[in-house]
Amino acid sequence: MTAPIRIKGFTTEVLKWKPWLDTVNVDTATPAQLAALDEMSPQARTSPYFLVLAHQPEILLQRSIAFNAIMFAPGGMPRAERELGATVESRVNGCVYCASVHAQRFEQLARRNDVISQVFEEPEGAGTTEREKAIVEFSIRLGAEPDKVTADDMRKLKDVGLGELEILDLIHSVAIFAWANRLMLNLGEPVFPEAEASDAS
Amino acid sequence: MTSTPHDVIDAAIPLAPDHPLWALRRQRDKVVAATQGSYDAMFSPAVEGLSVSERLLVALHACRVSKADSLAPHYRDRLAAEGADGDVIAAVDAGQPVADARLRAVLAFTGKLIERPIEGDKAAVQSLAASGLSTPAIVAMSQLIAFLSYQIRVAAGLKALVAVEAAA
Repeated sequence: MTAPIRIKGFTTEVLKWKPWLDTVNVDTATPAQLAALDEMSPQARTSPYFLVLAHQPEILLQRSIAFNAIMFAPGGMPRAERELGATVESRVNGCVYCASVHAQRFEQLARRNDVISQVFEEPEGAGTTEREKAIVEFSIRLGAEPDKVTADDMRKLKDVGLGELEILDLIHSVAIFAWANRLMLNLGEPVFPEAEASDAS
Repeated sequence: MTSTPHDVIDAAIPLAPDHPLWALRRQRDKVVAATQGSYDAMFSPAVEGLSVSERLLVALHACRVSKADSLAPHYRDRLAAEGADGDVIAAVDAGQPVADARLRAVLAFTGKLIERPIEGDKAAVQSLAASGLSTPAIVAMSQLIAFLSYQIRVAAGLKALVAVEAAA
């Protein structure tokens, strides 16, 4: 893997996240809380973010099902492009943590990070192909001004070759990060590796 | 195939089962079910700390701030069915201040998180705790506002897809 990107406060480094609320203790968690955490991912039991969300297990359970179905379902939009939509939405909302995680996933899936540098620098106009530019532009519009999205936006996506299931996947990917970003930005803050190192010293 | 008797997104667009996009949505049936499941969880009477009416007022306020005209009527109808105070509904609908201090704080928090999520800070969360909300109630409220941001975008995207189908 190449050196991490660091542009305008955004990064592809691995960050941590510090909650502002107390977390659920896994050792005393209810079966419903554990089920919701396990639905999300095998790592959720050790994630401060998901351990905060576990205070409302039914909500976390439903959100986990939606999140995984949106980001990982087979067919439709290639997964790298869903991660790109997620990264653009996170960049537009200023969610440094989400942008880092999903830029890394894009890079792992696409085996390149050129468009990530562009998105971190300035989302408007970013994209290395016409298709990618259209995906980025739509992600910005749906994220920032959902009431202004029209049939014209759909035509632009179709013009660069997106099928309807791919468009639906992109809508879902941007929308689920409208959700995720607001939790990440509102319930805690990202921790950079160097800050953690200096805390420990 | 899951067939829920009432799907809020389908009703808001509206999408009937004979519409091609109804079938398109069902190609992602887990997303359809978990979106409705999330909605049901968000407004469940089992969630403590915020009344169902307060949560519906949060939703109506989020729709107004986001100009989500397709979803606002749903929350207006539910508030009426819930027996919420008509003057309060009208005030929230018009963007006028409400008398109740706690509701005013909750709606201010909602507007900020919907429009400028980057401004979320520790002090805002602590002030909610100071106003008497428990940690689970703060998590529920944050999930609700964040979910509404999602629901509004899913509805907006689907509406645009319906429009392009209609024009084709």
